[in-house]
Amino acid sequence: MDDKYSKVELIKGFVFSNTFAFILIGLSKLALSRPYNKGTGILVFSEFIIIPMLMGIICAWNWKNLQLKGRMSGLYSFYNSLLAILLSSIFLGEGIICLIIVSPLIFGFMCLGTYIGRKMFEENNNELNVSIIVLLLFVFVMDSVSEHHYQNEVTDKIIINAPPDKVWNNVVAFEPIKQKNTFWLFRIGMPSPMATTVTGRYQGAGRKCIFSNGYVFGEKIVTYDENKNLTFDIIDQPLDPEIMGHIDILRGQFLLQDNGNGTTTLIGNSWYKLYVFPVWYYDIWAQSITRNVHFRVMEHIKELSEKK
Amino acid sequence: MKKSSLFNFTVKYLGFLKSVPLLPQLFDSQLKLWSLLTNWGLLQAIDDIETEILSWNGTNTTLHKYGGIQFNYKALEIGHIHSNGILDIRFSRKIKQQLMDEGKIDDHHIFAKSGWISFYVRGKEDSDYALELLRMAYLRTCQTYEVFKTS
Repeated sequence: MDDKYSKVELIKGFVFSNTFAFILIGLSKLALSRPYNKGTGILVFSEFIIIPMLMGIICAWNWKNLQLKGRMSGLYSFYNSLLAILLSSIFLGEGIICLIIVSPLIFGFMCLGTYIGRKMFEENNNELNVSIIVLLLFVFVMDSVSEHHYQNEVTDKIIINAPPDKVWNNVVAFEPIKQKNTFWLFRIGMPSPMATTVTGRYQGAGRKCIFSNGYVFGEKIVTYDENKNLTFDIIDQPLDPEIMGHIDILRGQFLLQDNGNGTTTLIGNSWYKLYVFPVWYYDIWAQSITRNVHFRVMEHIKELSEKK
Repeated sequence: MKKSSLFNFTVKYLGFLKSVPLLPQLFDSQLKLWSLLTNWGLLQAIDDIETEILSWNGTNTTLHKYGGIQFNYKALEIGHIHSNGILDIRFSRKIKQQLMDEGKIDDHHIFAKSGWISFYVRGKEDSDYALELLRMAYLRTCQTYEVFKTS
């Protein structure tokens, strides 16, 4: 097959599949924007599973005369995933970290779609496999119009070699964290907690959690039980593209337990709401990030509290 | 035979997730991406194996339910290969023992005590032996199919 023809077929696959995906996302956003979600819309699982699969099938249709085997179709699916991710960052305004997180899903399901498409469009295949496309579109529509709600809580604890009254001061507010980040997402640019300030040490006082990129989470202390319980609601979340419309941090809490031997067990709790689905994928990331935020703060509190 | 630690970890600790629809295929796609970036020759070898098997009478390929390409004779499975090069084939225990004595194959990565075997294809150099194993399995599957058909 001539080289020029092959290139045209390849490019057609890239262009048609991406155009289809953006039209479908655009239409679903227009039709289904939800006012209670600050107008950003929930990102349903279909957008990360069904759309990449359909993109793969569209590619396979355009590439059917190229007789691609697994290796080359995998490579071109990889290129197409990169293109889709690049276009998402330009047209959907997604942040780099989000795109890194989403990329395994996009590549995986696009690759799967390409394989399914190759089988569907085989010359000797007389089965009515095209109904798969209708089925996938049906799932997309049903998923898009369904209600999605997911909240979770993450809990971590550490032992601090200091009594609760000494730990408490550093829990309410603390000096800037100077330790280097060890979590890989923080190291590649995801904002990490840096310092916390308070307007007062009482219930109802304002609290600010300042992140490494300067973003500030506005908080309000809702429980101030000295040396035992500090609970705060997040009342103002920064408009960062990495989190906006994807996750809302709802509440944070520090519980101090006196171990009776001069040490304190510090428990950190966070509650959040996810706006990205499937939960079985995104909640792994949300838990991991929350856990690393917890430990960065709690290790710092431990270091400050254990200072002689 | 050295299997990837990521694969071992996933099979050992996350194996219970294999019944989640599409998750094994998603995992296999990640293995393929890893192979694309680190071992281009492996994917070439898998393509060569697939091409050769599809030239045998009555064969076809499908997606394996736990990720990878499944080679079939009619509707019966001959074996399957995951995108990190692990080729899984079922033999009788007697044949498995003979093959184990040759020292090139391992127990299956999950069903160690069954007739299933695993052979790790790392590149083109392993294609010939992989095809030898698959040919044995193909002939056995053809016989099984004929018995099944006539009974």
